[in-house]
This record gives sequence, C-alpha cells and structure tokens, in this order.
Amino acid sequence: MIDPVTLEVVRHAIYSIAEEMRGVLMRSARSPVLKEAGDLSCALTDAQGQLIAQGRDIPIHLGVMAFTVQEFLRRVPAPGLREGDVYFTNDPEVGGNHLPDVKAIMPVFHDGRLAAFAINLAHWPDVGGGRRGSYVTAARDRYAEGLCIPPVPLFVRGEPNAPVLETILSNVRGPDERRGDILAQYAANAVAAARLRELFGRIGTGVVLGCAHRFLDESERMMRDEIARLPAGEWAGEDWLDDDGAGNARLRIAVRIRVDGETLHVDFEGTAPEAPGPLNATRFVTASAVFYAVRALLGPEIPANAGCYRPLAVRVPEGSLLNPGPDAPRVGGNHETSQRVVDAMLRALAPVLPDRIVAGGPGTSGLAIFTGLREDGRPFLLYEVHGGGEGAGAARDGTNAVRVHMSNVMNTPIEVIESEYPLRVECCELRPDSGGPGTHRGGLGLRRSYRLLCERGELTTMVERMRIRPWGIFGGGDGAPFRVLLERQGTRTAVKGKDNRDLIRDDLVIVESSGGGGYGPPGGRSAALREADAASGFVTSESRGARRDTQ
Amino acid sequence: MTRPVYLGVDVGGTFTDLVAQAAGEPRLRVLKAPTTSDPSAAIVAGVRRLLREGEEVTGLTYGTTVVTNATLEGRGATVALITTRGFRDVLEIGRQHREHLYRLDLPGRPQPAVPRALRFEVGERLDHRGSVLEPLRDAEVLGLVEALRGAEVEAVAVSLLHAYANPAHERRIAALLRPHVGHVCLSSDVNPEFREYERTHTTCVNAQLMPLVERFLTDLTSGLARANLRAPLRLMQSSGGMTTAGQVRGTPLLMLMSGPAGGVAASQAMGARAGIADAVTFDMGGTSTDVCLIHGGHAETVSERRLGGRPVRLRSLAVESIGAGGGSVAWVAGGGALRVGPRSAGASPGPACYGRGGEEPTVTDAYVVLGYLDAAGEVGGLRLDAERARRAIEPLAARFHLSVPEAAAGIVEIANAAMVRAIRAVSIQRGVDPRRLTLVAYGGAGPMHAGRLAQLLEIPRVMVPLCSSVFSAFGCLVADLRYDAMRTLRVRLARGAPETWEAPFREMERELFARLADEGAAPDRVISRRSMDLRYVGQNYEIEVPVAPGLDGRAIRERFAEVHRRLYEYTTGDPVEGVNLRVSAVLPTPKGHIAVEAPSRRRDRGRRRAFFYGAGWQVVPVYPRDGLDPGDTVSGPAIVEDEWSTAVVFPGQAVRRDPAGPLWIEAGP
Repeated sequence: MIDPVTLEVVRHAIYSIAEEMRGVLMRSARSPVLKEAGDLSCALTDAQGQLIAQGRDIPIHLGVMAFTVQEFLRRVPAPGLREGDVYFTNDPEVGGNHLPDVKAIMPVFHDGRLAAFAINLAHWPDVGGGRRGSYVTAARDRYAEGLCIPPVPLFVRGEPNAPVLETILSNVRGPDERRGDILAQYAANAVAAARLRELFGRIGTGVVLGCAHRFLDESERMMRDEIARLPAGEWAGEDWLDDDGAGNARLRIAVRIRVDGETLHVDFEGTAPEAPGPLNATRFVTASAVFYAVRALLGPEIPANAGCYRPLAVRVPEGSLLNPGPDAPRVGGNHETSQRVVDAMLRALAPVLPDRIVAGGPGTSGLAIFTGLREDGRPFLLYEVHGGGEGAGAARDGTNAVRVHMSNVMNTPIEVIESEYPLRVECCELRPDSGGPGTHRGGLGLRRSYRLLCERGELTTMVERMRIRPWGIFGGGDGAPFRVLLERQGTRTAVKGKDNRDLIRDDLVIVESSGGGGYGPPGGRSAALREADAASGFVTSESRGARRDTQ
Repeated sequence: MTRPVYLGVDVGGTFTDLVAQAAGEPRLRVLKAPTTSDPSAAIVAGVRRLLREGEEVTGLTYGTTVVTNATLEGRGATVALITTRGFRDVLEIGRQHREHLYRLDLPGRPQPAVPRALRFEVGERLDHRGSVLEPLRDAEVLGLVEALRGAEVEAVAVSLLHAYANPAHERRIAALLRPHVGHVCLSSDVNPEFREYERTHTTCVNAQLMPLVERFLTDLTSGLARANLRAPLRLMQSSGGMTTAGQVRGTPLLMLMSGPAGGVAASQAMGARAGIADAVTFDMGGTSTDVCLIHGGHAETVSERRLGGRPVRLRSLAVESIGAGGGSVAWVAGGGALRVGPRSAGASPGPACYGRGGEEPTVTDAYVVLGYLDAAGEVGGLRLDAERARRAIEPLAARFHLSVPEAAAGIVEIANAAMVRAIRAVSIQRGVDPRRLTLVAYGGAGPMHAGRLAQLLEIPRVMVPLCSSVFSAFGCLVADLRYDAMRTLRVRLARGAPETWEAPFREMERELFARLADEGAAPDRVISRRSMDLRYVGQNYEIEVPVAPGLDGRAIRERFAEVHRRLYEYTTGDPVEGVNLRVSAVLPTPKGHIAVEAPSRRRDRGRRRAFFYGAGWQVVPVYPRDGLDPGDTVSGPAIVEDEWSTAVVFPGQAVRRDPAGPLWIEAGP
C-alpha cells in the first residue's frame, strides 16, 4: 500500500520529467518543423512499455506511443538492452503512424535492472522517398514513401553508432540538419533517463513504479466511471474522406459505439477497404484517434496514461482503411484519416452528448510543403500546416484559425520564413464568411499566401475538407471548404488536396483553410452576436444578403 | 536640520508593505497595511505612521503587482493596432495552436488583445533585411485618424512586419499620429526581435498599460506631493533592478514582474552580504509561490514569459510561479488520490481556521493542526480557530484511514511536492545542482516550508532573512538602479572579428551610461554586464552567455559549448552564431549601511506540541525571533516566530541567528 503523499510526490516528479523532455528536444533541434512548429511528443513508460506519463504534446503521437514500446519489445527483447542505448524507429508496424515520425526509445536502468523507458517522437522533415518532404501522392506502397527504419540503436552505451547513423543519414535529404535533430532526440531521452534514475535512487524503483501503476488504475477507474454514466445503447456515426489522392472517390469511415456497463466497444465495421493512395491509417493511429475522442468527450482532465484506455475495446477490420496491410502507403493517414475517425465518433455520440460535442472543424493538417534550391544552391524545405475554423459547440462559437483534435502543431512565423527561405508571405488573415452559420457560428478559416522567390521549387499538399465540408450539427450550417490556389502570371488554378507539383519563380500559392461547422439553427443566433459578427467583419453584408436570398 | 529616511514600498493586492530606514538608526521600521483603491492613500498613511519628528523622506522605491493584475484581468486601455496590409489578423491567429489538448468546452485560445474592429492596416512592406519593398504613404496613415478618434482609442500599438530590422516606417507613423492620440507605442522600441506574433502581442500589451500606468504614476506622485513627500520616485522593474518613472511611462511592461522582483533583489543583496553567490529564492504566499535561481551572484533572467496563456517578450527575472500557497485547498480526485491545489480558498472565505465561512481544508489549516501556527495566536489580525481547522481536515483523514495530524502532515508534504518540482525546474533543469545552493525563504508561508524543502532537496542551508514577511518592500530599499539594452546582430563567431560585436557593445554601453549619468550616476560606479544570445547554426532557440570585453570568437564559443552541454547533454562541431547582444548597466545601491536588529536577551516563549511528517508529535521550544541570541545555535525541532511569519526547524536540523540578521536553518550537528 503506497501512502497518498508518496503518490503525489511521484506524480509531480514524473510529469515534470515528461514536460522537461519537450523543452530539451524543441530548443536544441534543428528542423523548423521541430523548433518552431513543435511537431514532437515525449512520454515515459514502465519496463513493459505501458505509458505512465506524457507531456502536453500532440494527441495523435501520444496515443500511438501507448503502443510503440510494447511493439518495440516484441522485436528487441529486453535482455538485449543496455544502459545508454537509444533505439530509433519509424516502422509503422512498430507502434507507428507514418514514416516521417521517428521515435527514439531509451531503456532506463536502475541497480542494473531495466526499470522504465523514455520515448520521444519527432517529425523529420524528410525520410527519403520520391519527393522532397516524403509526402508522395503517387506512392502505392510504403517503399515509395521513404526509408523505413526498423528498431536500431543509433547510440550504443551512450556513443553514436556511426555505421548505422551514416546509413540513415545518406538516405534522407538534409543530413546535417537531421544529425542535429537526432542529437536533440538523444538529449531529451538522456535527460529523462538521468532524472528517472535520480528519482529511483531517492524514492526506490519499486515505490516509483508502484505509484505509476496506481496512476494507471486511477485513470482506468475514472474512465470507467465516466463510461458507466452514459446510457446503455449503441450509436452509429460516419464521415468521409475527400479522396485518397489516387482516385476521386470519397472514402467512408463508419463506427458503431456500444456502451456495455463500464466498457466502451468501438467497432469500425463498414469502413472503406485499404486505399491505393497514401491515406491509410495504421491500427495504432486508429486507436489513438479513438483514445482522443473518448478522452475529450468523457474525461479531458483524467490523467493520460495506459489506464485510460483499458476500458476501451476497439475493433478495426483487417484490410480496411483503418487497419491496412504492412506495405500500404500511409503518410496522410496519420493526420487526415485520424481526424475523420474523430469526426465519425463525435457524430455517433452527438445524440447522447449534445452539450459536449463540437461541430466539424478543420479535420486536416492543411499541409503545404515548399521545397527547392536557394540561389546559392542549398536546398530548403518548409513544412507548413494550416489551422482552420473550429466547429461551434452548445455554449460558444468555434475558435478562428486554430488546430483541433488530433493535432496541435504550430505555424512558422512569417519573419522566420522570409529570413530562412526564398519565399515571401503576402498575407496572413482570417477568411470572412467561412464559418458555418448557426446559433453558434463555426470559427473562421485563414488565408495565407506564399510567393516563390527562387528559380524552381516544388509544392506538396496533403489537404482534406476540400469537398466534404466541415459538418454543422443540430441545424447549424457546414463550414466553407478548404482551397489551395496557384496563381501563375495572373491566372489562378485550383491545386488538388494531395498533390506534388513544380513551381517556378513568382508563383503565388494561396492557402484558404476551411471554416468550422455551426451548431443549432442560425435563426437562434442572438442579435448581439450578429452585431459583433458584423462589427468585426467575421460575417460581411454581402454574405448575409446572399443567405437571405437562398432562404 | 532634518534626518533623511529611505523608503521601500511594495503594493500587493491585499497588503501594502513599507520598510523605512532612517540614517544612522540601527533598526528598520516595518509596516503592513491594507492596500487602498488609490494606492498612494495607503502609502501616505503608512509614511505618516513611520516617520518621526524632524525626518524627511529622501528616496522612495516602489514595487507592485498592480500592473500584472491589470494585465491578467484585462483592465487595460482601449488600444488600436496598426500593422502591415494583409497581416492584421496575425494578432488573433497567433501560432494557431490551442492552449489545451482535450477540452472541447473551452475556446482554443484567449481573445486577442485588440479586437478585429480596432486592427488597422497600412500599405507598406519591408523585407527581413529591412529594405523597403513598398514605401509608406503619409496620407494613408493620416486617413486613420478619424477612425481612431471615433473609436475613442486611448493608445495605438504599431507593429509592422520586419520592423525589428528597420524602424523607419514605424517611427514615421508615430510622428504622424502623436498629435492625434494620447499614446503611441512601437514594436521596434518595445521589442525589436523577430517573430511577428510575439512582438505584436507584446507591443499591444504595452500599449494597453500605457494610459493605466500614466494615470497611476500621476495619482501616486500627486498623492505623495499633497502629503509633502517630494522624494525622488524609483520603481522596481521586472529585471530586478530599479528604474525611473520616465522609463516606465514609455515601457510600462517593465513593471510586469515588479512584485516578485523586489524579493529576488533583496535575496541577491542579502546573499551578497552573507557571501552567498548561488541560491534559490522561495516566496510563498497565500495563493501562489514564486521561485527564482540566483547563480554566480546574479538572478537569472528570461526574455520571454507567458502571461494569461500568451507570450510577452521582455527582460524579466526567471521566476517560476506555481499556483500553490497557504490557501491551497486539499481535495480527493476522481481516481481516489489526495491532491492539493491549484484551487485556493483565497482571502475570502479563506482557510477554515480563519472562521470566515471557509469549510474546505487548506494548507494553512494543516499548519494549525500541526502546531506550526500558534492556535491561540492570530495572523494579520485574524484569530485562528484550531477546532475549525481540525474539522475541515477530518473527512480527508477518515477517507485515507489516517489520523487528523497525519492527514495534515500529508497535505503539507503534498504541497511541498509542488514546491520541489518548481525548485528543480529552476535549478536541476538549468544544470545547477541544488545541493550547492542556499534556499532563501520569505513571504507569509515561506519560512514554514523551507526547512522541510531543504531536507527533500538536500539543500544544505536555509536563510530566513530579516523582514522576511515584507521582503519585497525591503528589496526596494536595496535594489540597484539598472538599465537594459538589446540589439539584434547576427554574426558567425568563427568569421566575425571581435570588433564586429565590440563596436555595438560599446555603443550600447555609451547610451546606457548616458542615461544613468542623467540620473546622477558617476560613470566610474556603473557596472556593465555584456552577454550574447548564441546558438548552433540551424537552432532557433538561443542560450544567453556572458561575454567579457575583448573575448575573441573562440573563447566565446567555449563558454557557449559549456552551457549547451550543461543544458542539453551534448555539443557538436557545428558553427556557432550570435543573434542578439545584450547589455545591463547597473548602478549599485550601497548596502553596507543596512541596519541590523539589535541583539536582545534570549526569551523562550514556552513550548508547544508540533507534528512532523515521519516523526509524529514532538514537544518543541518556541522562540520569538529577536529573542534568539546572535550566534547561538538551537537544535530542532523548534519554532521561531515573529509578528508576521513562522520558521519551522525540523527534527535533525538546527537554527542559528546570525549577528548580521538572518536566521540560518542547517542540517543539525
């Protein structure tokens, strides 16, 4: 029996370690996507790989990392691990999501025994493959998407494992930058390991891990209590992806959610089969999206660890879009398809939890990658995600231009972009009239445009919600769809949601992100809110006139 | 013939503290009074009580949390923003992330500092080198005047893209608008650093504070003048140094961390007197606790902090604040864990033992149950009710099958876990071993927790300074006058000749020294400290490294590598670049004359029972602070009290009263 005081002492200690990891990784990394956008996550697990603490990072990563160490241990059994080793892997089958997200796993020993793992995940801006940035629309299997790194130690007993390190670096673009990122990932784990060892020494390994297991039990208890408060029953929800980049057909995500006492059954029967294009989500990504949706709806304050997920029984049909074969292309499944899983779950539970759900938001990364060569011949790569209008809820309008649900990656400041890349940003503004009307209005999308200032470049997009608009609910209207336009010599053309294309000097790429769905009938919107919309220009008079005409 | 008196004043949300030092008098005079809505009223009343016949106030330094609170509560002025065409929504979009991951009930981020209807654009554009791509047109700027008047705007923030590289357009806008609006504030003055959202938000917050601080300083000076207090006014700034009212009028952000800065400045000064260069300050109050690292005799500073969920970039002490204090409520979380805070019972109803209607158990109730606070005594004029404290904690004790004192000790220990986390964040996480540090404990509850924290963190000794309950006001008496300057200069260490940075460093020093000379400082007494923000090429976060005059690139690189290894566990052979140059010019305030309490006869106040975590009930001697003989050592457990604070000495520790003033709590013999 652990006393309540020790429990809190350990809780503070391990959470501060997980949070410190993020600071070390972000501040010492080299890639803008890590150091400015913060596309990274950190966690601690016990010796069996059960997640015991995580930072305040990216939900998609955190859910996936609940599996990573466990899957890792199946391939690299614990007896082979040594103090100071740090393994790296991006293998989607090893508790992974997509190739660009590379996990660093460090076993932590105390008194000669394996006691825990520190793990962090960092998005590498390039892992090889057919296109700079490793988002290959034409990929029809994972081999075309870049280098797959099975769990290998890039550090052995604290020393770099040069042959393997060099092999990896010679297969990714931007090896110097990547070397810096790898060191930053090493450093975050090394700091965490030092802190954990100190904690084990101070309080005792058995006591610390005993506390950690109590945290899992506590979270499980809280989650079960929340599930038990739901009425018994079964609810179905669905949503669609625009397309998989290979064809034009929309792809169905279907879910049935059943409350059975203190257990929640989530079944994806009826979901589209594995797609030819790179929109497949690994089963870990699917589970991660389920974890997110359940936690957001039932217990946002429940400490996040493996215990939260014990009361969830998730079934994903094999060979489906959400549980594809090992060779399926998957780069977009991570942040596009996962968001659609959340949408389907929110829609399923809307009748049961009408006050807790929010309408559809920018369920996409809105990713635009700009690459090319600078005037002096050095390559550049800007990985930029675009938030949009959040869906409205029962008590409030949606937030303007924000990241929702599975992601929380930041933008790159314009002054950083213009200092470091041959690009000029010509506007960064809200997109009036893009929010779905409703008693509560969906948030506004944004407009950001980029002009290429060098001879040649490439543009990659990974964007959803171009055709299937963010959904309104309970009478609220849909949000405006996502758009990407290319202006060349005065002519604008639409860019597809999953595309790789060449750019030439002076091309202007205009990204217009989606607005959020509305909540409740627009007629129920108060006069005060309408006036505020007009005063701030969120809703323009033309748009109001147009709406009247169509009513 | 009048006798000069120096005053340090700290105005908090609840209390106004005054510390007066009369020339040639051995004792400091201390006063605590309730804060008044016109803050000068409490000060004037306090000064009247402290001042004696034939005395005159010759200097008054003032610190306050009022500015912080105004910002947090959104009480700033109506502000308009002028920015580059196409970018007025940068302020709202920010970095596009949300503040929380799983809360669907909350908006993703707070409302922008300036609403969209008051965000204006002008045609103009610079590139990142500061070259003009599109010129600014005067007529367009003047065309905004009517709209600004119509909206009754009190201050205008101007933040143009890349203005850090070339302030010309911003300055032109200021020149055109100043005749028409009360206050204009430029991003290139307030925060000439890249990253447009952070700079723009910082500028808007500064603008919001300008009218407020202007009124506040005017009220203060006229209130003091009416009372015939015409002493020069100095203000405690966020960096831990003093500044002048003129500086604060232009950059009120300087006052943002003024409250905690006083205590840190005092710690630094008292530490220096005791020969302590490395310390952690520990300021525990009713609702929050502030800790800050002093390293090599200097309080650590940061150039950005988050306030109300948004980034404010200014030089301030690297104070880590946590929402745990004497008023923090103990509760049982859903999973069955005993938690303490972050919710606080606040001043009203306050802890159960205050008998003002509070029924939830707080950390302060635990002190009473444990016997740390005198159950028959009072705090700030409030009589304590031991029975109410016990009743409040009883349900928790029952829930965990503990006795009431065991549960109370658990509550204090859990609060300590949060403190330990904060102290580790400012020490170990910055590569400094707490076992080499001194813990400087002050604030209402600081000296009660410090002994136990020292045990938990293996900190060898605790200093409980004189005036620990009014330490921030005391800090105003001893802080140095300080000016900071910063300039962006991107330079590769290997390539740049030392002259590349020596010349701008000297120029910045000349400017700061001239400003100090205007304050009457003799140049030979001013101390300059230079530093550079450095990083490996490709990194985006810099490490600030002190740079002595004349150091060459290689030597600077070595210092950088040392700090990088301390923070991040590795170094590389990559080139190192400088991003910013910084200079602090400090005019030290003479500290040798600070008066010390007269030693007095040892007077034991008797004994009472006190309960210690892991050791149970003990009968402990209780001493009035000034009743301990200087130089004498008393073994713990023991309690040392003065009017406003209680120091708890744990079993295994000893306490000693230093002839120079402070109490020292150390591991016992």
